[in-house]
Amino acid sequence: MKSFLNKFYLLGLVMALSMVSCDEGFEELNLNPTQANDLDPKFQFSYVQLQTSGERYENWRAVLIYSSTMVQHLSALATYWSGDKYLFNSGYSSSLFDRAYNNYIKDIQDLINNLETSGENPEMLAMARIWRVVAFHRVTDIYGDIPYSEAGKGYIDGITAPKYDAQEDIYKDMVAELESAIGQLSGGGRSFGSADFIYGGNTDQWRKFANSMLLRLGMRMSKADPAAAEAAVRKAISGGVMTSNADIAMIQHSSGPEGINQNGIGQVFLADDNQRMSKTFIDWMANHNDPRIDVLGYMAVGGAQVGLPNGYDAQTISSYGSDDLNTYSRVNPKLVTVDAPMIFMTYAEVELLLAEAALRGWHSGDAATHYNNGVKAAIQQWEVYDASLAISDADADAYLAANPFSASEGMRMIGEQYWAATFLNEYEAYANWRRTGYPAITPTDYPGNQSNSQVPRRLRYPDSEYGINGDNIQAAISRQGPDEFTTRMWWDK
Amino acid sequence: MKKKLFFTLSLFALFAFTGFAQKTVSGTVTDASGEVMIGVNILEVGTSNGTITDLDGNFSIEVSDDATLEFSMVGYTPQQIEVGSQTVIDLVLEEGVALSEVVVTSLGISKEKKALGYAVTEIGGEDFTEARELNVANSLAGKVAGVNVSNIASGPGGSSRVIIRGNSSISGNNQPLYVVDGIPIDNTNLGSAGMWGGQDWGDGVSSINPDDIETMTVLKGSSAAALYGSRASNGVIMITTKKGGKRKGVGVEVQSNYTFENIIETFDFQKEYGQGDNGKRPTTQPEAIASNLYSWGEKLDGRSTIQFDGQSRPYSDVGDNLGSFYQTGSTWTNSLSLSGGDENYNFRFGVTNLENQGIIPNSGLDRNTFTTNTSGKFGKLTASFAGTYIRENVQNRPRLSDSPGNANYTAWSMPANVDVNSLLGPNGDGTNEEGTELLFNDNIYVTNPWFAAYNFVGSNTKHRAMGNTTLRFQFTDWLYIQGRAGIDSYTERRTSLEPYGTAYKPLGGMSELERRFTETNLDLIIGVDKTLDNGIGISAFVGGNQMERSFETLGGSGNNFNIPFLHTLNNLANRGTSYGISEKAINSVFGSLELSYNSILYLTATARNDWFSTLPVESNSILYPSFTASFILSDAITMPSFVSFAKLRGGWAQVGGDTDPYQLNLTYGLVGQGHFGSPLGRISQGRIPNFNLQPSETSEIELGADFRLFQNKLGVDITYYDKTTSNDILFASISQTSGFGSQVVNIGELRNSGIELLLNITPIKRTNFSWDMTFNFANNQNEVVSLLTPEQDEESIRVSESRTRSAYIHHEEGQPYSVIKGFKYARDAAGNIQYDENGYPVRGEFGVLGNGVHPTTLGLTNRFRYKNFQLSVLVDGKFGGDIYAATNAFAYLRGLHKNTLVGRENGNVGGPKTLPLDEVDNYYSQIYNITEEFVEDASFIKLRQFTLGYNFPKTMLESTPFSEVSLSLVGRNLLLLMSRVDNIDPESTYSNGNDQGLEMFGVPQTRSFGFNLNVKF
Repeated sequence: MKSFLNKFYLLGLVMALSMVSCDEGFEELNLNPTQANDLDPKFQFSYVQLQTSGERYENWRAVLIYSSTMVQHLSALATYWSGDKYLFNSGYSSSLFDRAYNNYIKDIQDLINNLETSGENPEMLAMARIWRVVAFHRVTDIYGDIPYSEAGKGYIDGITAPKYDAQEDIYKDMVAELESAIGQLSGGGRSFGSADFIYGGNTDQWRKFANSMLLRLGMRMSKADPAAAEAAVRKAISGGVMTSNADIAMIQHSSGPEGINQNGIGQVFLADDNQRMSKTFIDWMANHNDPRIDVLGYMAVGGAQVGLPNGYDAQTISSYGSDDLNTYSRVNPKLVTVDAPMIFMTYAEVELLLAEAALRGWHSGDAATHYNNGVKAAIQQWEVYDASLAISDADADAYLAANPFSASEGMRMIGEQYWAATFLNEYEAYANWRRTGYPAITPTDYPGNQSNSQVPRRLRYPDSEYGINGDNIQAAISRQGPDEFTTRMWWDK
Repeated sequence: MKKKLFFTLSLFALFAFTGFAQKTVSGTVTDASGEVMIGVNILEVGTSNGTITDLDGNFSIEVSDDATLEFSMVGYTPQQIEVGSQTVIDLVLEEGVALSEVVVTSLGISKEKKALGYAVTEIGGEDFTEARELNVANSLAGKVAGVNVSNIASGPGGSSRVIIRGNSSISGNNQPLYVVDGIPIDNTNLGSAGMWGGQDWGDGVSSINPDDIETMTVLKGSSAAALYGSRASNGVIMITTKKGGKRKGVGVEVQSNYTFENIIETFDFQKEYGQGDNGKRPTTQPEAIASNLYSWGEKLDGRSTIQFDGQSRPYSDVGDNLGSFYQTGSTWTNSLSLSGGDENYNFRFGVTNLENQGIIPNSGLDRNTFTTNTSGKFGKLTASFAGTYIRENVQNRPRLSDSPGNANYTAWSMPANVDVNSLLGPNGDGTNEEGTELLFNDNIYVTNPWFAAYNFVGSNTKHRAMGNTTLRFQFTDWLYIQGRAGIDSYTERRTSLEPYGTAYKPLGGMSELERRFTETNLDLIIGVDKTLDNGIGISAFVGGNQMERSFETLGGSGNNFNIPFLHTLNNLANRGTSYGISEKAINSVFGSLELSYNSILYLTATARNDWFSTLPVESNSILYPSFTASFILSDAITMPSFVSFAKLRGGWAQVGGDTDPYQLNLTYGLVGQGHFGSPLGRISQGRIPNFNLQPSETSEIELGADFRLFQNKLGVDITYYDKTTSNDILFASISQTSGFGSQVVNIGELRNSGIELLLNITPIKRTNFSWDMTFNFANNQNEVVSLLTPEQDEESIRVSESRTRSAYIHHEEGQPYSVIKGFKYARDAAGNIQYDENGYPVRGEFGVLGNGVHPTTLGLTNRFRYKNFQLSVLVDGKFGGDIYAATNAFAYLRGLHKNTLVGRENGNVGGPKTLPLDEVDNYYSQIYNITEEFVEDASFIKLRQFTLGYNFPKTMLESTPFSEVSLSLVGRNLLLLMSRVDNIDPESTYSNGNDQGLEMFGVPQTRSFGFNLNVKF
């Protein structure tokens, strides 16, 4: 019995000992061995740039299905191409909103926060701040009032229901941010180098790009706040904007190894063959004998380019013409490959904005010269997709000679050329069209459309925000107007 | 299969004649009133040698010289008779309360049922083996009060969702802990469908083999579970496997079960109008392709009309498309077990083979289970080992919810005049001549159902080993020490393929994944059991447990096959690898003290302290107690004579809880393989981490009474409970504009309270005929009391979203768990629906539209016995829950729903305007966005189970090697007796997660019927 009891005590002792350190090693066990606690800012900046270029998801929905068809670059018969017919599809409409905050605004805010905290790399910080403007301006241009000042700060500041800022305030802050970041660009520190897919960390090109962005944002305010617009435009021009197609802000994509490396628009064209060149766009090029027509369009069956009119479906198209999609122009496949570059801003746009600034008297340069530079750059810029898409100086000059700039028609001509120059950069094409009204687009009248048969002025917020950020979205709606296609945002009023 | 049969038969021959006996005993059994008793079990104690009394109450059995016979029958006090020199034994069996019912409770400790201060339900193994479910947990449906089993519409190998006494955690696991022979096993869901589609990859309990289950015990309350720690806060389902017993020779048992299953055709789509758009039939092939998912055409008139393939066919109803697509499924289960033992050693070995063919072509499941149980006694030391190896192979888990690769989606969406067989194509598998997907509509994401079934792959194989070894040393007759080590380990190999030539992914893609899971449990307890002379009994133990689990994933995936149709990772143009690991550990000490007085009063106190690895070191420890009492009223005071037994019980318990690993810190990870040589890095989490987490806490009070009246003809067991979870660790959905989808917070509060009622009624009990009824009823009132900020009202957490993007599952303050939210019709003050200028209904405000969880469940089992026949019928129902029927929303969009017939002739759709006929489809498409229309009452009553069995009389078996033979006709889910949902089965949710109430193109519910043959040697 005694020996049993001894054993009993021994066992009790062993048990007690094993329980004394009941959580030894637990802290380490709860650290994910596949994750890091810190990150090189280069890696995060690369990620953010690539994500801003976008995945197939939002490029399909917000860019192609909605924006490209509403500005009548493209058209489609399939009814899920909602933008073609001004139909509302909640998930398509909210796709940019649904992806931007999760996919890159979170990380750009984190990157900026870390760079600000360390204070060691002002140049990196400046580029990151410029890129944040690039990211946000596209979102606000699509939806209007959006979470901005409090957005993406769920971890940094614990903000889980960000307020919606008025677009006016967003624009003023973005302009201020650009101005401040431009000043910070030469602050030194590490360079992003090749982690910057756009300019390889080239400070001078970033300065030009930032000023060009300032020019774009300034001009965007031309209706809503001409004084602020003029001030920004003047500041941008004096700071130095893009000077050639070598300055185009674009990200080069590659065919792999994974989806994230690919061009989101290219991925769409791999999967979807419903879209065609819009009749509006093809006719505009044809009427001006535009050398771009065979660079941008592609006829599988040969022959002249034929645009597909917007606003038809597979049945109603019979009332217009052929219901065989092969008889209409596709987008040139060379433009929409998975390894195509994604363009954020071009030199052509800059020259056309300068021409407009000159017409408005906000810039002392010659409107016609800027126009000619812009159009020529726009005609020739497609070679960045593929060398075979190059258009010769002679052809470009001939086009300009045949379609000379006329100051009295200047705003229309600039607007139309801007529209052509921003093909495939549909966020910008759609925004500038709403601001200028050029080209004059005939709205379609598809039964059951959600915009009173007018071209929508914005896309609608995600349904999810109503449930989860209700107070803030309601504040935005009461300020901006109903969450409808037809509501005009601040700079569009 | 033939080989297996041969093997089985050889074994029969081998073991059939190993038993022998020396003498014959016969006699008659009667009850107190002198009536002869049929079907009394007579067993030679310590052996499996037994018989039952015949129609005249007579029996005859060959026994060994020193045999003891036990006579037993439900409702009667069993009696043991030493045979001695007797050759005739006439016996009177007394009716009695089964006072000595023993149940297995926490840590596998057997206790007298009357000592328990909480509700426990035990179900015998035959309830799982006669009429079977592929996932054994689904067999619990309707059988236990307070246990809510959801029948997930996800096909063979799918998961179960079992909820005991309501959902008690917002974001955490709400399913019970499954324990096999005292060791917890894993029940992780390996993936289920969401709004973007996906497959149900099964759960842990689905691989448990019913043939090896001796009993399943449901411990409902927290006090029953206090000793299993945090994971038991949702209740415990304890599975005790079959073991060998003392007997002569080797006992052989063979069971064969064959069932076939068909879809239950709940759908009732319109068959008056055919394919088309804008009220017109297609006139060209492109039009036919564009409108192939739409039934907005003309009235069916039999006229030859072009279809997607350019062929013209009559514009008339082609009949039952679902019947054409879904096939008859079948399941064949064969099991064999050998068992034996003597005073000191026993063993059981079992092998089971299950082969299932699903109702979707080219899908099915096969499972082999090998199990062994041995135990040996060496003086004061008892050593036992139990081990099970399971190999489960599931071929083509159906894709659910969203359309890509979802055969159900397309099969359900065919217009009345389009024959789903016309989509078969020249190769009969949904491909065209080139072997790529035969396209039949202009939305490439709506996959040809045959192509989805025959060319997509979504298969996995699981190798699982579970086992435990126990050493118990009995120092004295009252003091013991027991150590146990248990493991549950499995490897899952998964292959998913979107083949070359898939319309939405022309170059295809695939992934190969291997997941390894291991959970080990080590525990040690020291206990005493002693009854003192003064009538006070003490039963106590202290112990400790170490739990460790790890989940490791290694995978490769990619897109674009270089060589067409060569479907291997190595042939992918773009591919990447992934690796993930998740580890956690819990250390615990615990103790229990039970005091009893003269078997009248039992008091039990327990305490447990857990240390969680997933919580911050400063706050990772929690101590929680429980107290229960049981008072045998009928033994304490003199009761009226109609009361046979009365017991009151009550308890209070707490359970602490933790969360998933890695919720405390923000971390970064790399994405993909970089871009032009630059690595891509980002914040890894989509959820805001929280370094201040505390353990959560569930406390529960339970009161109950157990009465048996009128010589046990009526048994009433009623329980009230009230359970509150506070400091619940939840993943709160937050605005995506914060950059994160959710946040880990620690302030949730939920309350579940309810009653459970169990009635056992024996209306008729005659010698030849008896009728027993068991009725169970439970009502659980659930309320989400508080979410993110205690001070803030009306907070809401989004858990899930429907693919239609207009219905959501929320947990919302002041509402029950898992409410369906969405958009209502806009209405004026008088409640009239508002219409816009087009004449279409206007979508109104966003709000709560339904409750995704049924508060009320009930089940009624009737058992009839007539001579050697037994008939058992289970009817169950659930009430008060709703479902968002996305299938019906699509049926509106597509013009399939019968409601969309209104206005097709004249444009009078019911709104204020008469619409042009080509806008009728737009009107109904508008309603598609209005959630309210499709939130339907999901209450139902089903004829859940039916068995008709026949036990071959001993007299017939005398000249055979068989000792017992029974044959049953069995059926499951036979009839939907009541449903209020259009077109779909009310049990059609596709997720087994915390987002209950969403439905969309799941696998149709099936009814199964077949036979079960049980043979013992």
